[in-house]
Amino acid sequence: MIQGLLNAIWGMLMIKIENLNAYYDDFHVLKNVSMSVEEGQIVVMLGPNGHGKSTFLKSICGLVSKVKGSIMFNGTQISGLAAEKIVNMGITYIAENRELFPEMTVLENLKMGAYSKSARTHEKKNLEKVFELFPRLKNRVNQMASTMSGGEARMLAIARGLMSNARFLAVDEPSLGLQPNLRDEVARIIKEINIAGITVLLVEQNIPQITELADQLYVLEEGQITFEGSKDEALGNDHLKEIFLGM
Amino acid sequence: MLVEIIDVIISGMINGSVYALMAVGLTLIYGVSKAFNFAYGSFYSMGGYVAFMIFGAHINNYILVFCLAAPILFLLGYLIEKALVAPLRKRDDWEIKVMMITLGLALFLDNSYQVIFGARMKSLPTILEGSIELGDFILSYQDIIIFIFSIGGILAFRWFLNNTRTGMSVRAVAQNPAGAQIVGIPKEFVFSATFAISTVMVGMGGILLAQKYFVTPMGGWDILVKSWVITAFGGMGSIKGSLYAAFIVGMLEAFVGWHFGMNWTLIALFAVLLTTLAIRPQGLMGKWG
Amino acid sequence: MDHKRIAIVLAVIWGVVAILPVFFGSTNLYMHILIMCLIWSVVASCWDLIMGFAGIFSFGQVAFFVIGAYSSAIISAKFGVPPIFAVFAAGVVAGGLGVLVGLPCLKLKGAYIALVTFAVHMILEPVLKGDIGRAIGTGGSRGILTIEPMNIFGYTFLSSEPIPYFYLMLLVAIICSAIILIVIKSHWGTAFLALKDSEDFATCLGVSAFKYKLRVFALTSFLTGLVGGFYAHYVGMLSTRMLGIDLFVTLMVILVIGGVGKFPGAIIGAFITIALNELLSPLGPYRPIILGALVVVLVLLLPDGIIGLIQKILPKKNNGLPIES
Repeated sequence: MIQGLLNAIWGMLMIKIENLNAYYDDFHVLKNVSMSVEEGQIVVMLGPNGHGKSTFLKSICGLVSKVKGSIMFNGTQISGLAAEKIVNMGITYIAENRELFPEMTVLENLKMGAYSKSARTHEKKNLEKVFELFPRLKNRVNQMASTMSGGEARMLAIARGLMSNARFLAVDEPSLGLQPNLRDEVARIIKEINIAGITVLLVEQNIPQITELADQLYVLEEGQITFEGSKDEALGNDHLKEIFLGM
Repeated sequence: MLVEIIDVIISGMINGSVYALMAVGLTLIYGVSKAFNFAYGSFYSMGGYVAFMIFGAHINNYILVFCLAAPILFLLGYLIEKALVAPLRKRDDWEIKVMMITLGLALFLDNSYQVIFGARMKSLPTILEGSIELGDFILSYQDIIIFIFSIGGILAFRWFLNNTRTGMSVRAVAQNPAGAQIVGIPKEFVFSATFAISTVMVGMGGILLAQKYFVTPMGGWDILVKSWVITAFGGMGSIKGSLYAAFIVGMLEAFVGWHFGMNWTLIALFAVLLTTLAIRPQGLMGKWG
Repeated sequence: MDHKRIAIVLAVIWGVVAILPVFFGSTNLYMHILIMCLIWSVVASCWDLIMGFAGIFSFGQVAFFVIGAYSSAIISAKFGVPPIFAVFAAGVVAGGLGVLVGLPCLKLKGAYIALVTFAVHMILEPVLKGDIGRAIGTGGSRGILTIEPMNIFGYTFLSSEPIPYFYLMLLVAIICSAIILIVIKSHWGTAFLALKDSEDFATCLGVSAFKYKLRVFALTSFLTGLVGGFYAHYVGMLSTRMLGIDLFVTLMVILVIGGVGKFPGAIIGAFITIALNELLSPLGPYRPIILGALVVVLVLLLPDGIIGLIQKILPKKNNGLPIES
């Protein structure tokens, strides 16, 4: 009964985070972060470098060992679960530094992306989808990941993330280190992924192309959420303008 | 003279093949988990003693012995990793601590063998009697089988790494542990499983070589040092490097032993190793990092 | 621990040790054990300095000890050098070899350094036993059976009267621990902390990793060789048995009990371990089994040794400041 009630309250919320605290050794990185993501949305979290954005995404994905607080995914508590269980439930992290397998081919990297049990049965279908989205990867299936350029490796990282059959993607600074034209492409791909029905939570420094995609914006400063609202609301906020837009 | 040289080459090849099997196991643990296992030699003896006990239970078929010993060794390796190495991984200075705990384990195991089985050496029956004779030149079936088993073991393992999902996950963890975790590979399980696989490999080496060189409580140290030298020589973490290095070491040992005497083999090995490391600090095929 | 505290702990340890002969002086066996404790406390402290502080996985400590012991015995026998000078010469030989080993080693990474240094240990036995060894005067596999006892200004230290030698070794141990303390306290120590944290960053700051590491290699092998010399002139005979894995592990137990990088833990560890080893010796073949099991259990349960345990029990000074990341 309680579970049903809770589901009714949360309704369409896919991710609901309450009072999340995360630590690296003795560093208290995230302090009582609460936020939520509705199914089908693109949510963008902005924030200066080193204020805990990556830690935030990694905490959701079970990649930070010291985490306190509640993380609900479709009504299930996932805080403290092992990373492989979380991946299996449909949450995938796409790392800012890509974390590819350097001495595996593109195809092998993609296959490893479909490692989790829930993804294995969909491997073939997802591979086709990924090649549709990234035609360039299809021509390079036998290339070693270590020999790819920065932009290609970024695409491969995103493609590998999609292979997990995820319903929720946590994307860490996808435009980091990319040239402006590639940033446009990343933005386009994220939009396409979202249209295909995958919920996306992105963290970025302020990149206009990416921020433009957001259904909802959050700002994380010094481990705390300092703003929550729509794009328009963000534009009306003087503090945000100052730090991100330099106005 | 010519026959002698051919004999030396063959003995080098056969020892080299078993060394390769064992060095691949050692390089595997290092490559995947960056842990160094000082008890590796004790697992070599463990293989010999496990086989000795199986023979003691009147099971005289080598195929059966391998089929029984492999899961026993796997289980022992798995439990040892889970109980002793895994808890250390989260600590500061864990590499030193892993070396320390495995060294302690080695002392414990070797002396336990001595108490349980006695200091005298144990012999295992020959896998297959008889030999091929070509003129002056004799090649025993035993040596042929040792060679085939070792190479077969390595090839099977290579196939496992390249073509199965589990094998690929082992490579993934070795290449990028963080990336492996991201795609949902249970890292801790892979660490334990590779440790267990390497235990099986060195234990099998122990069974194969026990027919020729007996089983003794302290016999593993020599094997640890040789596997270690081969691993470093080939490049730690590089399976291909270990393969080449194992045959080079096997040959070198055979020739030095034949020409200068067995006392010189270890010295010659280290001389070659040091020269290699002075020129290529990462070994023949190793990579930094 | 800060340096002042280390100095105080050292003073307390050596103060207590200095009065031990009052209780044990009448039994030669106990005095012998105490002398061994002093000798191994220096070797273990040197190992701690190179491994715990400098972060170099050197596994050649026993080898340098044996090199020192043999050198001193041979130098005093062959050249008629008085033992007190021979031990210093032995230290120089060990230190020189330490530099020779260190030169190729320090370009290598962790596990490779362990291999090369352990390799020195492993090949020492065939070298000392073989033709090369016999040519230098190691006595081959028989070993060296008669070594001149230590004498200073005409006073001869006899192993039948161990108390004077105990105080001589105590003096040596005090000086060695003071040197180690000075090293940890000096800019070497700071450099090592920086190197351990991030070698790249420290190199950027102009800390030459190579230079510092080579110096610490030289210093620790010199001190270890020196103490090896004192050992040789005390026991009066040497064989390659010392190179067995038993002694190596004993030394490791000392470090595990004392705590890696927790100087002066190694000194406390030496006294506990050597005493324990003697207590266990009636158990015969079970002694090394227990010793091995002890290492396993202690590494798991006592991660930072005795010093770590004490630090945990004593209330920490304010270091819980929240730091922004």
